[in-house]
Amino acid sequence: MLREVSGKTAAIFAAVAVLAIVSMVTVRAADEQNDLSVQAQIDHGKATYARNCSHCHGPNMVNSGAITPDLRAFPDDQTRFVFTVKQGKSNRMPPWGDILSDDEITDLWAYISSRRRP
Amino acid sequence: MKRIAMAIGLAFIVSHGASAQTSEQLVKGATDTSNVLNYGMGYNLNRFSTLNQINKDTVKNLVPVWNYSFADDRSEESQPLVYQGVIYVTTHSATMAIDAKTGKQIWKTKVEYPPETPRIVCCGIINRGAALFDGKVFRTTLDANVIALDAKTGKELWRQKAADIKEGYSMTVAPLVADGVVLTGISGAEFGTRGFIDGWDPATGKHLWRTHTIPSPDEPGGDTWKGDTWKLGGGSTWITGSYDPELNTVYWGIGNPGPFNSAVRPGDNLYTCAVLALDPKTGKIKWHYQFSPNNPFDYDSVAEMVLADMNVEGKPTKVLMDANRNGFFYVLDRTNGKLLTANPYVKVNWATGIDLKTGKPIETDVTKDAREGKKVTVFPSILGGKNWEPMSFNPQTGIAYANTLAFGGHYKTEPVTYKAGEWYLGMDLTDLWEWGDGPRGHLKAIDPLTGKTKWEAPSDIPRFSGVLSTAGGVVFSGQLTGEFEAFDADSGKKLWQFQTGSGIEGQPVTWQQDGVQYVAVASGYGGVYSLFSGDERLAKVPPGGSLWVFALKQ
Repeated sequence: MLREVSGKTAAIFAAVAVLAIVSMVTVRAADEQNDLSVQAQIDHGKATYARNCSHCHGPNMVNSGAITPDLRAFPDDQTRFVFTVKQGKSNRMPPWGDILSDDEITDLWAYISSRRRP
Repeated sequence: MKRIAMAIGLAFIVSHGASAQTSEQLVKGATDTSNVLNYGMGYNLNRFSTLNQINKDTVKNLVPVWNYSFADDRSEESQPLVYQGVIYVTTHSATMAIDAKTGKQIWKTKVEYPPETPRIVCCGIINRGAALFDGKVFRTTLDANVIALDAKTGKELWRQKAADIKEGYSMTVAPLVADGVVLTGISGAEFGTRGFIDGWDPATGKHLWRTHTIPSPDEPGGDTWKGDTWKLGGGSTWITGSYDPELNTVYWGIGNPGPFNSAVRPGDNLYTCAVLALDPKTGKIKWHYQFSPNNPFDYDSVAEMVLADMNVEGKPTKVLMDANRNGFFYVLDRTNGKLLTANPYVKVNWATGIDLKTGKPIETDVTKDAREGKKVTVFPSILGGKNWEPMSFNPQTGIAYANTLAFGGHYKTEPVTYKAGEWYLGMDLTDLWEWGDGPRGHLKAIDPLTGKTKWEAPSDIPRFSGVLSTAGGVVFSGQLTGEFEAFDADSGKKLWQFQTGSGIEGQPVTWQQDGVQYVAVASGYGGVYSLFSGDERLAKVPPGGSLWVFALKQ
């Protein structure tokens, strides 16, 4: 009896364990896919940055921040970022709404978020 | 009645004569110590003054007379002009006339441009100054317009659009008035443009001529480009040329080819990284000399072409000098463009020397590898052995004083596709610098004929200021950290400095008025080094543009 019970328990444990492993693998795969798409966004954003932003905000986003904003210190505020990129700001930051697509600006945000200073 | 008319006529001639700068005055600009009439303090761009009230002994008593705020926090690279006690100076956003003695503003005329303009400005939001002629102030605007203002009132008299910002063109250059023609250059070689120099009628603004710096296939030199590459070939002209009135020839430096990735554009790529000798009336090319054929490293040659008469191998020679961005100091015969000498004035590893017979560089594997797409470490970097900031030449001692750069760079090409109004470079911008230890720049006293350094004043953060030298044995320069400095021209010893409140990228000038020698310089930084170097030490240096004027303490 004891053996039977323990056998059943073992079977349940085994089933749960298998399920858990399967679901863990599934989750990990999804994570990986997610990571990959985030990385693709960052890479794409990095290329757009190099082409359009680096001549004011510094190659690789390294910038003293004295002349133009150091984007590594930009607040975690995507709405403000998208608005500023599209509309420009204070006659200093030029507007980019007619050149950069929404997807490109979203990818730029991914790149900037990846470089944020803690 | 007749008498009254004559009197009015005379009064008009007298007042007009007093306010209008003539061609003759411009020709004598280099020796006119009471005015600063030309960019470069003379058609020869020597930036040298015979004044000596401020000298090695007295410079310690130099104090500010006044400061004038530009109400602007961009890079202030403008050279002030001075005529009859009035200073004319520019920023990207305004043109100003200021009383030279009191610092009081006489007039200020704002410059407006579309908010999209900075998208296609590679290296700082700037303007380099004005030109004066016949009672008018001429300048360019960031959105590629050339304008003329009334020198008395600042009122706009005419305006001409030279090119379209949507295609990547912009303007920062100070115009040159030579032989009665206003000459202007163009910026934008980083954005897939095709460079040119324009001639304008000073009275009306009528466009007189345009000489492209990139020939079309049917023009001489057109065979140095393959296919359609000439259409995006670059060749900016954003530094004012020099002018020899006797030879009636303008010497104008030509910028980098586009894109940087040289595999895209096989051939020598004339007239990029070259100097053109032009007839100012027609824009016709008299001769050319190319410093760096098919250049991958942004060794543009826009910077000042300095003119002097010197003895070369015992022969009095009319020369043209250029401390080229590629690291070699060139001396050419300016009557025919023949190379006389070329010697390195900083560390160079892309070429072992310049062949004096062919005039071409003897390239190393660094250049070959770079063209083949391998990552290389190259000296000088893409900022050059000397960037745009103008040197000074003292014709009395034959020594040139230049702010030079002491670092290399990493270089690797990338594929590139053209899109109007965006970077067109084809280079990895994520890993640019080979700083090394030690100072990143030196103010150097250089012998033009040997390239050898007589003395050097190092600087951790390199200087990007123009240089001025005087018969008082003093050399003026400035630091990106704000110090305006005076050095002993013979020893390089620092004699004096003053903190101007922001970094200096301006062009110092000097003149004498009512028995007092003045020195003026614009302060306010934000140019190419502060934007591209990632030098975070500059975080402690505030922006903020203003004009400082100094004189000896009474």
